[in-house]
Amino acid sequence: MSAQDAPPIGAPISDDALAELRDALDARRVTNEPHILDSYAAQPFHKAEPGVWIHRPIAVAMPETTREVQAIVAICNRHQVRFKALTTGWGAHAGPGFDNVLQVDMRRMNRILDIDVRNRTILVEPYVTCAQIQAELMPLGLNLHIHGAGSNCSPLASATSHMGMGFSSISMGYMPRNMLGVEWVLPTGELLGVGSCGSDAGWVSPDGPGPSLRGILRGWAGSDGGNGIFTKCALKLYPWSGPAEIDMRGTNPLELDLEIPPHNGIWLCVFPDAERYEDALYALGDAEIGYLQAKLAPGLAMAIGQPDLFKRVVNDERMRATVDSMRFEFLVVLQGHSRGRFEYEKKVLEQVVADNAGSMQDPSLFGSAGSLWWALVRNSIAPGMFRPTGNFYSTLGGDEAVASALRQDLAGMRLKEGFIADGACADDLTDNAHTLLYENGQFAHTEELVLFDHRDPEQAAKLKALSDTAMRAIVSERLGGGGFSFFAGAYAHDYLGPNIDNYHVWQRRVKTALDLQDLSDSKYYIDSEKNEGD
Amino acid sequence: MTDLEAYRSDMEGCSRCCNCKWIPLSQIKSRRYSQVCPSSQYYEFHAYSGSGKLNVALSTLDGRTEFDETAAAIMYSCTMCGGCDVGCKSYRNDIDLVDTFAAARARAVELGHYEVEHLLLVENMQKQNNVFGRAREERADWAEGLALIDANREEVDVLFHVGCRYSYDETQREGARAAARLLLATGLRVGISGTAESCCGVRAYETGFQAELANFADDMISRARSSGAEYVAVACSDCFGAFNVTYPAADKALPVPVRHVTEIAADLLDSGRLDLRPVRPRRVTYHDPCNLGRKGHDWQGTFEGRKIDRPDHMRRDGRGGRYSAPRRLVEAIPGVELIEMERTREFSWCCGAGGGCLEARPEFAIATAQERIEEALSTGADAMVTSCPWCIHTFREGLARLHDEGDDRQIEILDVNLLVTESLEAAS
Repeated sequence: MSAQDAPPIGAPISDDALAELRDALDARRVTNEPHILDSYAAQPFHKAEPGVWIHRPIAVAMPETTREVQAIVAICNRHQVRFKALTTGWGAHAGPGFDNVLQVDMRRMNRILDIDVRNRTILVEPYVTCAQIQAELMPLGLNLHIHGAGSNCSPLASATSHMGMGFSSISMGYMPRNMLGVEWVLPTGELLGVGSCGSDAGWVSPDGPGPSLRGILRGWAGSDGGNGIFTKCALKLYPWSGPAEIDMRGTNPLELDLEIPPHNGIWLCVFPDAERYEDALYALGDAEIGYLQAKLAPGLAMAIGQPDLFKRVVNDERMRATVDSMRFEFLVVLQGHSRGRFEYEKKVLEQVVADNAGSMQDPSLFGSAGSLWWALVRNSIAPGMFRPTGNFYSTLGGDEAVASALRQDLAGMRLKEGFIADGACADDLTDNAHTLLYENGQFAHTEELVLFDHRDPEQAAKLKALSDTAMRAIVSERLGGGGFSFFAGAYAHDYLGPNIDNYHVWQRRVKTALDLQDLSDSKYYIDSEKNEGD
Repeated sequence: MTDLEAYRSDMEGCSRCCNCKWIPLSQIKSRRYSQVCPSSQYYEFHAYSGSGKLNVALSTLDGRTEFDETAAAIMYSCTMCGGCDVGCKSYRNDIDLVDTFAAARARAVELGHYEVEHLLLVENMQKQNNVFGRAREERADWAEGLALIDANREEVDVLFHVGCRYSYDETQREGARAAARLLLATGLRVGISGTAESCCGVRAYETGFQAELANFADDMISRARSSGAEYVAVACSDCFGAFNVTYPAADKALPVPVRHVTEIAADLLDSGRLDLRPVRPRRVTYHDPCNLGRKGHDWQGTFEGRKIDRPDHMRRDGRGGRYSAPRRLVEAIPGVELIEMERTREFSWCCGAGGGCLEARPEFAIATAQERIEEALSTGADAMVTSCPWCIHTFREGLARLHDEGDDRQIEILDVNLLVTESLEAAS
């Protein structure tokens, strides 16, 4: 087919294109059956528009090799069909952003290809989850960074395509730092090895020898499927000084029955005010201690672990005040490879807390200490954020210097007071910020969450306005960073970009250079110059 | 209960986190055995997962697709094992996956999109009171020679409901007889309904023929009441789930409690009334049947109101399943070493028999059983013991198929009651 014969982008898929897909893959792994397609179109999370449904894909293809992925993308190019890869697929940004998109379901590419214990690296395919990898690594004395979405998610997807901060950021950085060599099927279908694998020099480096394209392939927040399909990724690994396997009973991550192993501990560090809380965060980063760290907002932690108690607290002014008094807090997990190292880190933590008039408390408000320790190590707690109301949305918060990030938190709380009063979201005691240190405390990632129920018509209808209000506040209050507004796509980039070094111009140029036809679904990234303003 | 619309909130509530596909994240110990949903593992497309089936059903309610044969076929490609429910309820109190699937299957039957094999099951039940279509007069043949009371004629302390599989599957009669001997060891008056016993009805219910349940439940209630029994004893886990959960959920609760034989035997053990003796040394792994385990979690009543407000204690997440009694029995037998599989208790892998899959999706059912056999073999066990005749049957079928295909690995598939009676009857 010549380019002149090609249908317009986004047109319904032709029988010829479907036949070619079925020839390229096992025909059973390509479907356009409407019921199956609709199961890929139900994505109520991470979208501001009301309702469960996003665009129904035109077909679903399930490759099991890189060669098959290339074949799919080549067919899409020939027939001008948009495509979107999906791994574990949690959130609207994983699904089609337009009508007539081919969903490429990566679940058959689910192998751990190599674990290099000596060099502390792992090579994985897209549909391997963090929990699976961690379970395989612990007997080897190794661990990986798990991003905030949780261990049910794909680390390849996070490393190549979406944010990447998590509880372990304090000791392991964030996903772009952990990404090593990457195998990348470009939007044109060509195959590119990023970093050392591009020069057949193994998977150990993202920056060479070979093309160093970390910034291009994902940028800051990630391209969310707008830049082709990533088929293999190597990740950096870290020491694990706990047991090979954790023996426990239970299923709810905050109701487990388990003992914290030797040389491990968890503390809730509480500070009297915002100023000393901020100073403590800086001091903790400077001290270069800590295995895991997070502010887990007291209200939400209680709502996840003890939902009935939380409902009582919300309606009791005295109890609200008690919980609110713990607002300036973070949890720290220490892990030492020896008793000496563990004791050293504990003393340093005690000093950091004491220097800032804080206290180290039993974290049992959130659940048993053992449960909480393992919930942070495994990052099994994130999906619990749906327990209180059925859905949540990230508003303000960003990845900034600690002081700036905390300013965003406070601004987010002020905004949220209005949202709660307006009935746009649930009363979560207002403070629902989650703050994580990374880059030795040079940066903090923070998110001010709102809890809502997309099944509640009033809340669903108000979410878009809530989201836009938060985005505008970033500019009007000069808060810095873009927070989660980045994921509103071109609309947000074109609003925020002029206020943040015109990054949107460069982002669009990258997209245009790689994918002029806009075939790699860019709804949650940015459109190419060809389609700008459409 | 049959109204699919009543589950709209459950369907709309799914956030697609996909924890319905995995065992609880906290419990994952390897990549190999991290999945919990047989349907998702076998059929792969998202529509077949717990989340996907909610999406498919919602799509039909919203008029985006028809509830046609394809929608029904997706719903029927599921063992209804409840593994998805446990993964989901690690995080949610407001979504009941299996109940929603049951309502969707009822819709399929209303619209005539049932599976022919299921209709045959139901006809068998209607004609002969058992799922196999065997003569009802043969139902008590298994009990020949046992000192069991005819509960139709005399009052008893314990009414032993044997179930269809134990009654008619000749390869499992010894399991039923072992269960009866354990009940008789209580010293109580143990009776059976004999040829008057009926199927529990749960197969009809879970394949969408929900209206059929009422007759079987009413019959069982009547027999339980007239027997004078203090409790109903069952050895079949499907019957346990029917009496303990499905009946009360359908407002047909039995007038007396239901207890599984392993619970009764474990009580005997605890009171020193089981003289267990050494048996042939074996390493044994225990398979938790879905309906005795996670789905056996006691019915917590119907919550009126928005499910998001449902109290935490009403969350049926499998915690209340019966897990310890069979394990206590196995561990107490001299010569037997109990080794756990990775997927145990609430997040056990299913045997494949449930939901009408053994009848209508036999290849899927066998593949599911073989996955469990693989897991059992990976522990180094010589035997996989369980407490449900349907699981035993499916595992034996799966193992036989492996042997037919040239895989000569061996593992004994054994009824827990038989293992206990083997120990009781071993020479001292």
